[in-house]
Amino acid sequence: MTSTYLKRAAIFSFTALMGLGPLVLFADHVGASSSHAGYQTTRKNSGTPNSTYVKVDPKTGVVIAYGDSAITYNAPSSKLDTLGRALFLENCASCHGTEANGVPANGTSGSFPDLVGLGPATIDFWVDSGRMPAADVRAVQAIRHQPRLNQSQALAIAAWVNSLDPSYPSIPTPHLKDANVSDGAALFALNCAACHTIEGDGDALASDTFAPSLRDIPAFEVVEAIRTGPANMPRFTGNLSDDQVRDIVAYVTTEIQHPNNPGGFGLGGLGPVAEGFVGLLVGVGLLILIAYWVGERQ
Amino acid sequence: MSSEVINTKRSKKQAAGPYGSVGKAINELDDRLGVAKGGRTFMDKIFPDHWSFMLGEIALYSFVVLLVTGVFLSLYYIPSTALVTYHGSYLPLDGQRVTEAFASTVNLSFAVRAGLLMRQMHHWACDIFVGSIVVHMARVFFTGAFRKPRELNWTIGTTLLILAIANGFLGYSLPDDLVSGTGIRIAYSIILSIPLVGSYLAFWVFGGNFPGTTVIPRFFVLHVLIIPLIIIGLVGAHLFLLVRQKHTQFPGKGRTEKNVVGTPMFPVFMAKTTGFLFVVSGVIALLGAFAQINPIWQFGPYTASRISYAVQPDWYMGFLDGALRIWPSWSFHSFGYTIPFEVFIPAVLLPGLLFNIAYVWPALERKFTNDHALHNLLDRPSDRPKRTAAGVAVLTLLGMLFIASSTDVIANFFRLPLNEVLWAMRILCIVSPFIAYPIAYLICKEVQVVKGGGKRKTANIVTRTSEGEYVATPAPKYADDEHQELDPTPVPTYIIETPEETGTGGVRTAPR
Repeated sequence: MTSTYLKRAAIFSFTALMGLGPLVLFADHVGASSSHAGYQTTRKNSGTPNSTYVKVDPKTGVVIAYGDSAITYNAPSSKLDTLGRALFLENCASCHGTEANGVPANGTSGSFPDLVGLGPATIDFWVDSGRMPAADVRAVQAIRHQPRLNQSQALAIAAWVNSLDPSYPSIPTPHLKDANVSDGAALFALNCAACHTIEGDGDALASDTFAPSLRDIPAFEVVEAIRTGPANMPRFTGNLSDDQVRDIVAYVTTEIQHPNNPGGFGLGGLGPVAEGFVGLLVGVGLLILIAYWVGERQ
Repeated sequence: MSSEVINTKRSKKQAAGPYGSVGKAINELDDRLGVAKGGRTFMDKIFPDHWSFMLGEIALYSFVVLLVTGVFLSLYYIPSTALVTYHGSYLPLDGQRVTEAFASTVNLSFAVRAGLLMRQMHHWACDIFVGSIVVHMARVFFTGAFRKPRELNWTIGTTLLILAIANGFLGYSLPDDLVSGTGIRIAYSIILSIPLVGSYLAFWVFGGNFPGTTVIPRFFVLHVLIIPLIIIGLVGAHLFLLVRQKHTQFPGKGRTEKNVVGTPMFPVFMAKTTGFLFVVSGVIALLGAFAQINPIWQFGPYTASRISYAVQPDWYMGFLDGALRIWPSWSFHSFGYTIPFEVFIPAVLLPGLLFNIAYVWPALERKFTNDHALHNLLDRPSDRPKRTAAGVAVLTLLGMLFIASSTDVIANFFRLPLNEVLWAMRILCIVSPFIAYPIAYLICKEVQVVKGGGKRKTANIVTRTSEGEYVATPAPKYADDEHQELDPTPVPTYIIETPEETGTGGVRTAPR
């Protein structure tokens, strides 16, 4: 009698050990929370742009436009400075400080990014894509949402921040007419698909960070993102020429955003998991229902 | 004179003889090949009526669709890793250096009439093939149809499942696109992770280091020739054993361990099963026409330097991918060797353990229940609560592992932190089978005592009286609900048996 109880207890404890034992090995990982250090920022990018065409303002000596036949970069007009400062004080200064140096008030530590010298494209990208002003300043990664400031207001802020320390990259305009979409596809697979997925849908990365979807972005924002490297994204400068960036942008804005995609419903671009669910629930499920229908003689 | 000319119907009938034109043809065949005896046994084969006995047929007929569409695809597919410059109708790939395998797959999708439909049907048929095998296997498991004398057929079926999964993976790899190339890379690493023999085995399978140039031609031969041949042979054995051992049946009126109650092969079952063949191919054709699957032109060609995020294998490999994703990084480095347990345990040991348990389950059950009797009557799943609960627990584990193969998709879709999704799946995979077992066990125990459980429900007719009162009365029973014992169709007596010849000195004669 007791031996069977012992046996049962042994089997039970063995099962529990095998089932729950491995949890012990994870114990020191549990509760390790991530420390929120604020948004990651882009490195400063001063100096002279390495371009074939550089246009300098004769009065101030500041570079106002540069680039080549693939992409031209234009610095925002200095006439917008005053408006930009007003908009900055109203929308940005509570975190980034009145001097845009990431120090909101005396005595605060710089947990917010210093914006001076980041270049107009960086400021324009964050504001124009609706990521700034931030919806939740404690979030690890800002989420793209409906922009609070319109395009010219974003340019004005970029103009004022740029006036503090003129730097690069400026606001890009890609010329997609001569782009090679095929080269763009290959470059996209090599440089972008590892995070944004090959279909451009984006995906979750490490804790609380993600690569956003590329399905609905204007062409110049794609250039800004590639050239400035917002948040976790690496900044592509030397390793991609303006021609190559233009090709990638052409691929993103044509084949990713408007794919030539025969074969029926795309199932949300979620890949084999969605396909598996459809195959099992619709395919096998429907056939089981039909088997139920024809299988029994009524 | 004139009446003979006009009444062609009668004259044709007369010309055909007493058995009709079909009967005459069969008689001619019987005279030469002796098909009457075997044919009669075959046509009188009894199939018990239950919808769940049709599940295996979904697998059989989707395999037929796989063969037909596969032959079509093999006419256009080139199994070569030689690099060519793509100049086809899909412009974003124009001018790219791709392998012939990839270029031919894109070409057969875009430039061959009905090529994309065939390719999508082939892929959907594969998903449905493996899915219906699993559902069929679950039916066989939960009803105890694998018990003596059918253990061998259970073994064959389990082997078929493994072969189907393996061949699905091989076929998925053939287009040599970015996503499937990643899958081959993972398969290579899994083989590498096997202690001692891993690197030798990987080199043997791939003909050298990854990716090499031999893997696509080798996978092609395995996918279109060797494994399909084994599958066809085993399906034949599976069906032969089914006919030889006769079908199982659920207990009921007039049904015993010694008989089979159901409809004969001809004409009822034959009509039913032929119709089902068309329904299965119809559903697959609809999916192939209206639901996109594996758009390889978007993925582009595979090169070892490229990778896409959010890559999962087809659903039947999902549990392996899920296990790989959630397993913690346990690896040991000593004496210059690395034993990567984080790959070996989830990708080699786990599936090995699962399939081996499936293989030995009939023997295990015989041993633990001490039941060595022949079983032709099926169990209701609730009557065997421990077996049912064990099956539910394993299916729960597999389901959780499948969900774990899409941790990134879940995290992105629901805007959750990826690490927490990973941790949730680790805990769920370990805990959920232990929760599913007692729940399934208790449900079985409850269902056992439900009155009239397993019987066909009879409808209630609700009538409203003139006072406004509602009265429910049971509807009259269907005539077919009652078991009717019918006399078997008398076997025709026109088969005249010839007397056996007696052999003469040293010559033995055998009766035909």
